Amino acid sequence: MNQHQTIESADRKFGWFMSAPTLALLLAVILFPVFWALFTSVHDYTLIAPNFDTFTGAQNYVSALQDAEFRHSLWITAFFVFVVVLIEFVIGFGVALMLNSVERFKPIYYGILLCPLLMNPVIVGLIWRMFLHPSLGIVNYLLSVASIAPVNWLGSTKVAMWTIVMVDIWHQVSFMIVLLLAGLSALPKEPYEAARVDGAGTFKAFRHITLPLMWPVIIVTLLIRLIFAVKTYDLVYIMTRGGPGTATDLASYFIYRKAFVSLHVGEASAMAAILLALVLLLTSYLYRYMRNLT
Amino acid sequence: MASITLKDINKTYPNGVSAVRAVSLDIKDGEFMILLGPSGCGKSTTLRMIAGLESITSGDLMIGPNRVNDVDPAQRDIAIVFQNYALYPHMTVVDNLSFGLKLRGVEASEIAKRVKRTAEMLGIQPLFDRKPSQLSGGQRQRVALGRALVREPQAFLLDEPLSNLDATLRAAMRTELIKLHRNLGTTIVHVTHDQVEAMTMGERICIMKDGEIVQVGHPMDVYRNPVNTFVAGFLASPPMNLLGGRLEAVGDESVKVHSGSIAFTIPAAMAKGFISHAGKPVTLGLRPEDFYLTAESARHTAPVGVEVITTEVLGPEVILVASTGGENAAEIQVRMPRDFRASPGEKVMLHFDLSQIQIFDITTTRALPRVA
Repeated sequence: MNQHQTIESADRKFGWFMSAPTLALLLAVILFPVFWALFTSVHDYTLIAPNFDTFTGAQNYVSALQDAEFRHSLWITAFFVFVVVLIEFVIGFGVALMLNSVERFKPIYYGILLCPLLMNPVIVGLIWRMFLHPSLGIVNYLLSVASIAPVNWLGSTKVAMWTIVMVDIWHQVSFMIVLLLAGLSALPKEPYEAARVDGAGTFKAFRHITLPLMWPVIIVTLLIRLIFAVKTYDLVYIMTRGGPGTATDLASYFIYRKAFVSLHVGEASAMAAILLALVLLLTSYLYRYMRNLT
Repeated sequence: MASITLKDINKTYPNGVSAVRAVSLDIKDGEFMILLGPSGCGKSTTLRMIAGLESITSGDLMIGPNRVNDVDPAQRDIAIVFQNYALYPHMTVVDNLSFGLKLRGVEASEIAKRVKRTAEMLGIQPLFDRKPSQLSGGQRQRVALGRALVREPQAFLLDEPLSNLDATLRAAMRTELIKLHRNLGTTIVHVTHDQVEAMTMGERICIMKDGEIVQVGHPMDVYRNPVNTFVAGFLASPPMNLLGGRLEAVGDESVKVHSGSIAFTIPAAMAKGFISHAGKPVTLGLRPEDFYLTAESARHTAPVGVEVITTEVLGPEVILVASTGGENAAEIQVRMPRDFRASPGEKVMLHFDLSQIQIFDITTTRALPRVA
């Protein structure tokens, strides 16, 4: 072994040594619970009989997939995630583009935008539940001032999902704006000047330069928002408890109920594992797509 | 092809900074014009105003017969090559070349033909499928040039296009640009702070300082007859030696100029322009290459005794750095033949060609008229 290799292996050992505490912590708080859940998902583990005595194999997975309510919750989660991410992206990108060309008072706009993001989702849910109260809420009051009939924001199966969507957009859209704005302001300025001389107007410059250059940032932003949206739980818990009926019964909330209301921890773990697999699948696809772009 | 005319152009930024002041310049159809000056002199701003990337505060900009002050850059039919190339990073070389033509709705077959012709001219065909990040500096430069050429515009604007290249490549590209201009005959405005580029490439040089034009002319004219001490000190390397001195009348028609141990008597035939400044302090301008080791009868030379400070042996020539000695001794640089050798402290007798002397007014810094 020559000296160069010796130094390299010593460096590597030192690197492991330095990162060991953090790795151990990550292992304890992230990997361990994941594996524990996977282990639980193949056992008949309930909070009434909390033991791993009965190995059930894929039984929990089969019954989860056969459970119509779970499949329904997956569908409406997919719908929720799609709608929320799409609308937030459209609004977010639009606002980011506008803010990117703003010269003055940028910090003030930033400050206003970040306010909702700094709030805890539970607080957001509570505030909006008050705003949207059918008879006491300010929203219906304002509608009545404009002679519009009151809306049953959280009590109607047709409206409740859209209400949750709207509140989530209010809460999370600034996240999109901030990330996309950071991407926009990091774009090189020169190609735009070249394009102006080449004959590209605002729209063509956006279509042929901004969009392609922004793709990697857009994909990452969508990815992060998507993962967060799949996890949405607090808003539903505070505002509708999955109701009315199962109209807003998003997967995370459904799994919570399965585990801690029905006490079927094994089956809930299997459902969580299915959700995790779906998210991983989507993530790896988007990640690979992004890698091909750059 | 078109001429470019700037009439009393001003550029003042919203914060009150005045970048370009009263610039008037006639660039002839097919001319290779150099805008030369130190950084911050307004030369790039002037170019960007011609391109339409910068608004014009006041004055008229004409391309051909048309006033284009408020015309969109795309409609001016000019192409620009940027200092950092400004290629589209996400597009391949061939897409970079054809993008401008596509935007203009040129037919695909015509685009392919023009791109091919341009790429052959610049030797960039093998790079067609690469992206800018996979190209070297020189290759990017060629692609940027190709992107401008393929448009076949009325004029090319080059904003320090060679400054990011290494010395060898820069010299090669300099020659290529000259050839290109000869073949195409298109008007070129080339911005640079490199006086070698200016001297070698330009048909005319426009020297700028602090947002104003100082002198416009053929490179050799500007070199031989700088209008003031700024131009004298800016052009050529080593630049003209500028020494503080004093003029004295000798009789009615000739003058004597003193600086340190230098004392030149300028014969009546050459002194006509200088006599008005007799008795006043002046700045003396002596080009490093106008010194000789022996008195030459063919020239009006005058002896200068100097003390060697150091010599720089460059190969084709030797730069002698010497002190003029005496009171107010000044340091001068002199070009010597390649076999010249001298040790520090040695006294050397040089002979200066009086017909090349420049004398500048000390307050206005402007050159006094020279009659040779």
